[in-house]
Amino acid sequence: MEDSPNKEELRIGVYICHCGSNIAGVIPPAEVAEWASHLPGVVRATDTLYACADSGQSLIKEDIKKYNLNRVVVSACSVRMHETTFRGAVSEAGLNPFLMEMANIREQCTWAHGHDKEGALRKAKELTAAAVAKAHFLAPLEFITVPVTKRAMVVGGGVAGISAALDLADQGIDTILVEKEPTIGGVMAQLNKTFPTMDCSI
Amino acid sequence: MVDAARHPKIDVRTYTNVERVEGYVGNFKVQLREKARLVDVDRCNGCGECAKVCPIEVPNYFEMNLAPRKAAYVAMSQSVPLKYTIDEEACIHCYKCVEACGPLDAIDFSQEDKVVWEDIGSIVVATGFNHFDPSVIPEYGYGRFPNVITAMEMERLNNSAGPTVGNLIRPGDGKNPQRLAIINCVGSRDKRFNPWCSNFCCMYAIKNAVLLKQANPEMEISIYYIDIRTPSKGYEEFYERARGMGIHFIQGRPSLITQDDNTGNLFVHSEDVALGRVIEKEYDMVMLNQAAVPQPDVDTVSSVLNISQSPGGWFMEYHPKLRPVDSPTDGIFLAGACQGQKDIPASVSSGLACASRAGRILHSEEWQIEPIIAQVWEDRCISAQGKQCGLCAKACPYGAITVETGKAAQVTTAKCHGCGGCVAECPHNAITQMHFTDAQILAQIRALLAEKPEEKIFAFRCQWCSYGGADLAGTSHFDYSANERGIRVMCSARMDSDFIYEAFRLGAGAVLYSGCHPQDCHYITGQRVGATRADRLMKAFEKMGMSPGRFRVEWISAAEGDKYSRVINEMQETLNAIGPEKLHEENEMLRPEMEKRARRMYEVPLVTEASDYSDEMRQAMSDMEEPHGS
Repeated sequence: MEDSPNKEELRIGVYICHCGSNIAGVIPPAEVAEWASHLPGVVRATDTLYACADSGQSLIKEDIKKYNLNRVVVSACSVRMHETTFRGAVSEAGLNPFLMEMANIREQCTWAHGHDKEGALRKAKELTAAAVAKAHFLAPLEFITVPVTKRAMVVGGGVAGISAALDLADQGIDTILVEKEPTIGGVMAQLNKTFPTMDCSI
Repeated sequence: MVDAARHPKIDVRTYTNVERVEGYVGNFKVQLREKARLVDVDRCNGCGECAKVCPIEVPNYFEMNLAPRKAAYVAMSQSVPLKYTIDEEACIHCYKCVEACGPLDAIDFSQEDKVVWEDIGSIVVATGFNHFDPSVIPEYGYGRFPNVITAMEMERLNNSAGPTVGNLIRPGDGKNPQRLAIINCVGSRDKRFNPWCSNFCCMYAIKNAVLLKQANPEMEISIYYIDIRTPSKGYEEFYERARGMGIHFIQGRPSLITQDDNTGNLFVHSEDVALGRVIEKEYDMVMLNQAAVPQPDVDTVSSVLNISQSPGGWFMEYHPKLRPVDSPTDGIFLAGACQGQKDIPASVSSGLACASRAGRILHSEEWQIEPIIAQVWEDRCISAQGKQCGLCAKACPYGAITVETGKAAQVTTAKCHGCGGCVAECPHNAITQMHFTDAQILAQIRALLAEKPEEKIFAFRCQWCSYGGADLAGTSHFDYSANERGIRVMCSARMDSDFIYEAFRLGAGAVLYSGCHPQDCHYITGQRVGATRADRLMKAFEKMGMSPGRFRVEWISAAEGDKYSRVINEMQETLNAIGPEKLHEENEMLRPEMEKRARRMYEVPLVTEASDYSDEMRQAMSDMEEPHGS
């Protein structure tokens, strides 16, 4: 089962992204970084103009070596946007990708609270603290590797489905093209000539 | 079409429905139902003798019901595959077709639906769109006035392969129209029906006008429009060409169409923005350019394939700009107009993009999936101690947990999708979820409620829907109260009662329990597990005397940014109405009960450490508060 993370001394690095003016236009990232530097376990905290850019990722990778970081917190955008990016960055620097945690201070903070800058700053700090707290209890994990059945299915035999099926098949992939009607073709087969070239549709 | 049927690597299965999809990226299992055609496709040579003798005629959907087909039919002469089908609902079982087929012996009335399972690595969904039905707009008279037709009806009437062999006639009297009005945005950009621009209709109106004008230069054609939208390559030039050909463009949305009952002619009443006045013009025929709308069976398809919907019912992409053809489920991709209204070049592009995205997976020997799965602490599981339980297996939507009394519950790694429902349901805290452990979540809750908890609105959100809804609220810049503090789990099923008790024990002003709508759940039935628990919590809090609105349960899709922001703002209003003093009193009253209920969580490994760490963090935060004095 999980090892207690307290067996090793935690060395957390915290990166507060400006995202140009997307975050920095509402709150001062440097103030959040300074604040976060006092949280337990944090040994490095700084702001960065674009954490996702090459320069931002390089900073994180260099810091992992320089400060011997074993956890990384990136306060930036949504995990739906860049979790994969930062997992990749820390993993290139030799850290397990699951030892990186993000705080969403853009979509769920500065973009939603432009009307309340003081409230947004307080929230950005606390979201960062929560990510630091979670990072404290993160454990290294390995991706699960699964086999791949080399066979595709396209559902719908209109122009989009036929295009997808033909390209998959040309790549050498066995493809099942499923159509609910008795013929493929979809709406396009019903059309007369098509714009702007006025060629036939079938 | 023919290329697809001839390709040695493509297996075309027509007259077939997808009934079930199980599994995960690289390893889907798909159940198909091949409907009985009552024709043996290996024997049928497409000669059509069966249709010739068939005495039954029904409307042909392919011809927009403007022409009949037989009960033994192909939809069109270029059908792929060119194999006949017997429409069982229409057939009177006279068996004339069997006789006509003769020695080919292709007709088989004993045929039944075939159900098969297929192993599939990746799925492309290209289920297309439907046309808006303009009969719901009474002022345009579609369905009442025979010479008011839809765009698709025009398409068949002005098509050399259509029922009139391309001779455009009025359905009312068979005359060739000389004056035609085309009305754009019928059901599109109309708040009564669909807010969206249907994308291709401007060009489509111009195309039809150009084709008709080329065939009959004397024809008078007017296109009524709100705006003409021609943003793609070659489109604006095409529009210019149409203007040069003498096609009239009238800016104005018609308000009424009336009919002269003697002539069947139509009067279109509209404003003309260029003239600055209301006009009324007489036409022989009117074509309504219908909106593109989602398919009528979109809810069934989205629940079978487990894909969420954007507003209006289009399938939702993972990211509108960066991952436009990925669905939120790894290994399932979206091609064509099922994802949103698209013209032909855009549909083809997205189909090709899907082939490339799916190819990434299908050319790999293996694929990596996130290890955020459930694990059992065998020493804590009461089943191992010989007691009957199995609540974890009951909560699992995938049958990934096997429980045998006398042994600890077993999680099959490959089957676990990581919703976390079993973890929250286990009454003995014997299961954990990797990357979403109780200790990790507790540490987050504690950090977010360390300062001024009574001012806070604490939101539990699921990865796929309500977290996405919160993202969209931000992306759309819908302001909401900055007192909101949220954490993310994979599914509402993971939102353990203990977390909610702990949040209130710490003094949270309000708690939002949010996830997907039931039909959108990324984990089949995970939401139901979460919803049942939320109901129980709601009743318990009512009983304890908690003010209404402090615990709120909302199902919010990733497309409902407006709802997320509204809900948070309403919760803020609730807190304002209760007022800090009453809230404080109420929290003091509730604390002993919350304390009692939350205590159970402290048995979980590492939770005590998380609690100690949180105290340290709280101290650090409060030390910082002092000198700054904010």
